[in-house]
Amino acid sequence: MALDIDIEKARPWNILAGPTHPSLVDTRHVTNPAFGFTNIPMAVWIDENGTLVRPAEAASVERSPLRNMEVPEELPEQLKKVMQAVKKIPDDAEAYRAAILDWVKNGASSRFVMTPSEVVERSGPRSNAEARARACFELGEHLRRNGHSGAAVTWWKEAHRLDPRNLVYKRQAWTLVTTPADATEYDLMQGPNDVYDSNLVDEVSSEGGFVQFIVRPAL
Amino acid sequence: MILSELRTSAAAFHASTGWEAKPEGLCRGEICVPAPGALAADGSLDVTIAAERLGMPVIHDADHGLWALGTATLGGRALDTATAADPELLTFDHEPFRLSSLRGKKVILLAWSSY
Repeated sequence: MALDIDIEKARPWNILAGPTHPSLVDTRHVTNPAFGFTNIPMAVWIDENGTLVRPAEAASVERSPLRNMEVPEELPEQLKKVMQAVKKIPDDAEAYRAAILDWVKNGASSRFVMTPSEVVERSGPRSNAEARARACFELGEHLRRNGHSGAAVTWWKEAHRLDPRNLVYKRQAWTLVTTPADATEYDLMQGPNDVYDSNLVDEVSSEGGFVQFIVRPAL
Repeated sequence: MILSELRTSAAAFHASTGWEAKPEGLCRGEICVPAPGALAADGSLDVTIAAERLGMPVIHDADHGLWALGTATLGGRALDTATAADPELLTFDHEPFRLSSLRGKKVILLAWSSY
């Protein structure tokens, strides 16, 4: 499921992936309040009865090839910083994939299945500030869709302030101001820009790396 | 949930927030929160009362005449219940899709993005 306000920006990636399972888009970011997604990739597990058996957590299922790449010196500085930061992301892919396969094989008796109370307890925090950030983000998106981009930025800045660990709210907003209107894909660097106070590279660098925004799976 | 007034239908509130107005209160999964005075006889809901009972922040944009409702904060966790929410998502053909259509199967809902 793509967390993307614009289906068309996600479509090329979906075509390349060629999924055989349902492939969806959350254009309104409703899975943040519903499940607690604050970054990508994140996943929840839902059993046959519609009960969550694992809460939202980082969900890499294969080791990124970027991890083994030497970062070429000739790359633009911002891109080099991103690649170096990606290489430092904790690698839980192998263990997470094994946990999925264990659940497929053993179902409810899998040791990776949590009880309902564990799922609730281990879901992320939701303070009044984070709940308010959700309202601000949704209002900003509503205004943007209705032609009030300037007002949207104001509310999105407030969402970023209230929920600073939600990297999805930030990246979705940054990319809109750095991607040309006629581009078929988003600008992955997302800045620096003169609309928001931060951008992907500077945010990750100043906060101590991507790890500050990652909910590592407890396996 | 985006609102142009602080009263809406109970059905719309349920569709947007997952909280359903029942005689015993506002319910989701196994949780019911008493909300006396929230539900009117005509099926409309007083959002101010409902939001207060569920710990939902309400923000107001006076310039555009809109209110936005934040998420419930009953237990201080992202999830109030392990009953999976069923928000309306879209397929790449712009068709609505609900995860409840996959009941009977194991589901891993994995979020990714193009940005």
